[in-house]
Parts: sequence; C-alpha cells; structure tokens
Amino acid sequence: MAQYSHPLALIAEITHRCPLHCVYCSNPLELTSRQDELATADWLRVFGEAAALGVLHLHLTGGEPLARPDLVELIGGARQSRLYTNLITSGIGLSRERLAQLVDAGLDHIQLSFQDSRESDANWIAGARAHAHKLELAKWIREHRIAFTVNLVVHRQNIEHLEEMIAVLEALHPDRMEIAHAQYYGWALRNRSALLPTRAQLDHAVAVVAAAEERLRGKVRIDSVIPDYHARFPKACMGGWGRQLLLVDPAGRVLPCHAAGVIPGMRFDNVREHTLDWIWQNSEAFQKFRGEAWMPQPCRSCDRRQEDFGGCRCQAFLLTGDASATDPVCELAPLHNLIEDAVREDAVTDSAPEVLEAPFHVLQEKMAGLWSYRTGPK
Amino acid sequence: MTRGIVAELVDTSVPKFAAGCRWGGTSEAPVVLFPEGAIRVEGTGRIILELCDGHFSLAEIVQKLAAQFILAPKGKIRADVLTFLEQLHAKRIIDY
Repeated sequence: MAQYSHPLALIAEITHRCPLHCVYCSNPLELTSRQDELATADWLRVFGEAAALGVLHLHLTGGEPLARPDLVELIGGARQSRLYTNLITSGIGLSRERLAQLVDAGLDHIQLSFQDSRESDANWIAGARAHAHKLELAKWIREHRIAFTVNLVVHRQNIEHLEEMIAVLEALHPDRMEIAHAQYYGWALRNRSALLPTRAQLDHAVAVVAAAEERLRGKVRIDSVIPDYHARFPKACMGGWGRQLLLVDPAGRVLPCHAAGVIPGMRFDNVREHTLDWIWQNSEAFQKFRGEAWMPQPCRSCDRRQEDFGGCRCQAFLLTGDASATDPVCELAPLHNLIEDAVREDAVTDSAPEVLEAPFHVLQEKMAGLWSYRTGPK
Repeated sequence: MTRGIVAELVDTSVPKFAAGCRWGGTSEAPVVLFPEGAIRVEGTGRIILELCDGHFSLAEIVQKLAAQFILAPKGKIRADVLTFLEQLHAKRIIDY
C-alpha cells in the first residue's frame, strides 16, 4: 500500500448548529443534528491523532463552534496536542469572559466573519441581528495577544460596498483580512442566482482589493479568493483531493473537503470506528480522486494537472452530474458552457429590498422569492 | 504594537514574534506557525528566530551571530539578518 504524504490541516466541523442564517453558507443542505454530534472525548482523541499524523493547523468551524459548551475544553486539548488552533466564528455567543477563557485555553487565532459594512444589510444577509455584536467583539479580541483575521464573503448583494467594508474592517485593527467571494456549494449554490456577481462588478472588486493591498502593506495581510466562475482555470480545490487537508464533520465522518458528502456513492469512514491515520491511508473516499488515474481528458494530458488537480470534484458533480468530469469552471472543459450560461443568466443586478426589523420567520417568508436562508439541523 | 506605520528595523529595535505566531513542530524539525501557514526554519534562520524572543535588540542579535560565525564580516551578517527579518515582518510574522 502506497504511503501518502501527511495532511497539514484538520478542519473540524464541531457542530452544524448556528444562530445565523447566512444565505452564502457552504454547509451541506442536510445538516447533522445535535444528538449525532461527537462527544468531547472523541474530539480530543481525534486532535491527538491528527497531531501524530503530522497535522499542524486545526480549524474549528461549524456551524457556529461557540454553540458547543465544551469549546474551552476542546481548545485546551488541541493545544495540548500541539496543534495551532484557529476558531472560525460569527462571534455570536461569545462574551468578553468566554473569549478570555478560550485564549487562556490556548487559542492562537480567531477568524471573525462580517456580512456587510452597513448594519441593516449585514443583518439582512445573515438573517439575524449579529453585526453590532461583532463590532464590539472585535475590540475585546484586540485586548489579547492572538492573531485576528476578519473575514468577508463577497457576493452580488454586498459587492458594491466593498471599499466601505474594507474601511470598516480596517478600523478593527485585524492582522489579516480574508476577502473571499462566495463559493457555490450547499446553500450558496441554492441561492446562486441572487449571489453571483457580474463580470463588471468583479473587475471593480479586484481593483478595489488591489488598491487596499497596496495601502495596507505591512499593516494588514490581505488574502483574497477570486470567484472561480469568472476564472479561466479551476481552483486547486483543497490543494488536491486527499493531499493536504482532511475534514471531520459533526458526526465524525471524515471527508476530503467540505462538500464531498454530495457526491453519490461515496462511503466516508468515521472516527468512531477508525483512526485518522487509517482513514487517511485507506479510506475509499480519500483514494477515490487521489493522483491522476481518475482524470478524464483534457485533464489527463494537461500541463496544469499538477497545479489545479483537475479542479473541484464536488463542483464537477453539482454542475455536470459526474464527479469525474473536468471542473466546468475550466475554459478547456467540455461542459464549460454551464458556467458561461450561469454567469449570463444569474448575473443580473438588482437592489436589496427594504427590510423591516422582523422576526426571522417573517424575513424568511418575505425573502423567499430572492433566496433561502440557511436553517438549522432538524 | 505599532499599527498603521510600517516600522523601520534599526539597531535598537527588538524583533519578536507577532501576535498569533509561535514555534511548533518538534525539536528535530521545528516550524514557525502563523495563521494559515507554517515555515520550516533551519540553520542560521533558526538561530536568528530563537533570538527573537523579545529580549534582544537587532544590534545584540547581530553581535551574538558575529561571535558564533567569526569568519563572516559583521556588516554582511547585519545585512542578512535585516533582510531575513524584514521579509518575515512583511508576512506579519515578526514585529519590531
């Protein structure tokens, strides 16, 4: 049996519960319910196994990881296993006191998401009153010596505010700013027609980010992710299937990426039954698209196959119905017309409707014609 | 912590790891960990970074290296240390 180089990062989706309802959420539509979540001891064992496997970074995400009452214990255990621990959060559920506990437990890095620069728009996109708390939380974060990233998901409903958003986030004194265009999986794919920007909007956004990078050099590190629908070639999704990362979902299933659960016929092994090391080396799901044997043409003979690994398997399945197809984002893909059609059809500008201060179910009903808010596990 | 101005590295500067950056890996194969990344450091790089613990100024770090590498001209050592630390500063790994 071939030995594969070890993974560098573990993405731990510790819960799918979330108080926000972001329309661009890339979580699967089928979410894991609370009673199926792994217990504290299971996670601590998984962190130890990950470190032994050579993993350096742990990304605690969800859902909203703060929904787990044992988060302090999980971070403490991760730190004890010598993992670099990053909390990816909306901040909802984080008081000043609990933040201090997380830092004391060994948290290295916190990544706080923002939906827009304007409170009403941000709350509209999140389907929750969250924006004001995030601004307050940012101040508390800077009271600690941990790395602070602000994260902004960009799409058609906020892209016109990008310059203003960067200014608002800059004022929070982050070390790092992640400007990521929505990726069309899960809820975001369902809402694509409301989220995909036009080419003109994208070009403007790229120029805005370039100017900010120049201005903030040496002060804030900016990492930006271009929407692949507008790129010529696909992204090297997860650095290649089963090459650098593994993801454990709330129920303990181990996946090569966030979305792999959508691919039919895949069997994911569970940390309740196997060690991470065994899964990394042997799991059918990890073997499936490793290397080049699975590649169709034009990937198989393409000079870029070592750079982008044929793109994203999940996107290939979601858009073409065949997980082994060339990612249709690629301009060389036989089915690239699917992307061209989507960009043409979906990318029509409209304006955000007036939103009243309303309970979630009212907002949900009111917006049903535009998008579906992410809802929690059953 | 200086914010808003790209700090200049001078002899009295005290280089140290930025918030959220630290050592990791094993003692045989140490790495510097930072948000979303890690770098393996060996040889002189490792010696320099081990001196970036907040106790030594740039001049002191250069002095210590000059004592260790007696054949290298001190001016060159200083220039190399400066370039190395400035690169890590641009990546937000080292503050001074």
